[in-house]
Amino acid sequence: MDLPKDTPEYAKTFLDGLKEAGVSIVAALPESLLGSVYRLLRQQNEIRYVQVTNESELPGICVGAYLGGKKAVMIMENSGLRQALEPIARFAYSHHLPVTMIMAFRGEWGERNWWGHNHAQTMEPILNALRIPYRFVREIAEIKPAIKRAIAHADGSQWPVALAMSGNCVEVPAYAKN
Amino acid sequence: MQRIDLIKCVAPFVTAEDLCVSSIGGLWDDWWNYRPPGDNTFFPGILGSITTTALGLALALPHRRIVAFETDGSVLMNTGAMCTLGCERPPNLTVLVVDNGIYENIGGPPTHTSRNTDLAKMAEGAGCINTLTVRDVAAAVDAFKRMLDDGAMGYIVAKIEPGKHPWPWEKRKPTDGVEDKYRFMRHVEKLENIVIHPGAPQN
Repeated sequence: MDLPKDTPEYAKTFLDGLKEAGVSIVAALPESLLGSVYRLLRQQNEIRYVQVTNESELPGICVGAYLGGKKAVMIMENSGLRQALEPIARFAYSHHLPVTMIMAFRGEWGERNWWGHNHAQTMEPILNALRIPYRFVREIAEIKPAIKRAIAHADGSQWPVALAMSGNCVEVPAYAKN
Repeated sequence: MQRIDLIKCVAPFVTAEDLCVSSIGGLWDDWWNYRPPGDNTFFPGILGSITTTALGLALALPHRRIVAFETDGSVLMNTGAMCTLGCERPPNLTVLVVDNGIYENIGGPPTHTSRNTDLAKMAEGAGCINTLTVRDVAAAVDAFKRMLDDGAMGYIVAKIEPGKHPWPWEKRKPTDGVEDKYRFMRHVEKLENIVIHPGAPQN
């Protein structure tokens, strides 16, 4: 696949990481911080990309795919965790079903948008309350192993796991350049 | 049309090689008693995640017929899923919405479908194809049979009368959510000759 010249390195690595981990279905609600990842996913056919209207659709799609024997991940902003929480909690606590979620971490240190802070403030307390293991991914070199291990961890534990993408692994907001 | 009659009459057209996802309520015990032998059905106890789970299965196994037994309460809880379904249109998925117009399990307050909401029209507007509303068992069976085999997605809304069949305790679905998962997972593994979750060999 020929990638546009302006494709950020993190996004290329992200897509390669999904492929190398054997992911064949990605369900997502696009947002800005991982914007190039969604664009790349839309432009290729190797991974089935399903765009949803609300993050609460994502866990069901991923669980269905998992029970069909496929590796699937859901991608969203960390604000979507609150929308997706009810099905995630029920799939986990009632059925011991794994979901691998990858979130853009909105509200990183230095966040200028007033509306973005609540996403960061609530994400970790929610994940901890639900006993969902998570890791931050901030360097491009960490992306591939993090995706692979997250999927293995979810399958091994039969429980949801989360990756929070930040630092060099998201688009750089205009105000943060230089 | 009573739910038990609907389920009893569509069940013979579903085989153990089809995979089903069932919504909750009285539907669980009705389907449990009329489903094909074995574990071809997953029963998520999650309103709003029936269609999405069936969609994931349908995308993962495009060669296999997938059936979602939905309810009005569940569909209403996540109407955006209709739009995603209408965009993806998996040809191997048939959705049968069992619409009694009430939240029966909690004593029967009305859902919006007993007022002005029309789920088949909503599904059509969301991009789903082969959508229709049926009001008697013969029409439901005819549509269900046809949509299972037509190689295109189908979305049937079956308007039923309220009322739960009084299954005796020993006939009610006895399994919990974790057992349901493993039984369904092992069934899929056998059908597809794959390993989904290898169990727990120790390193």
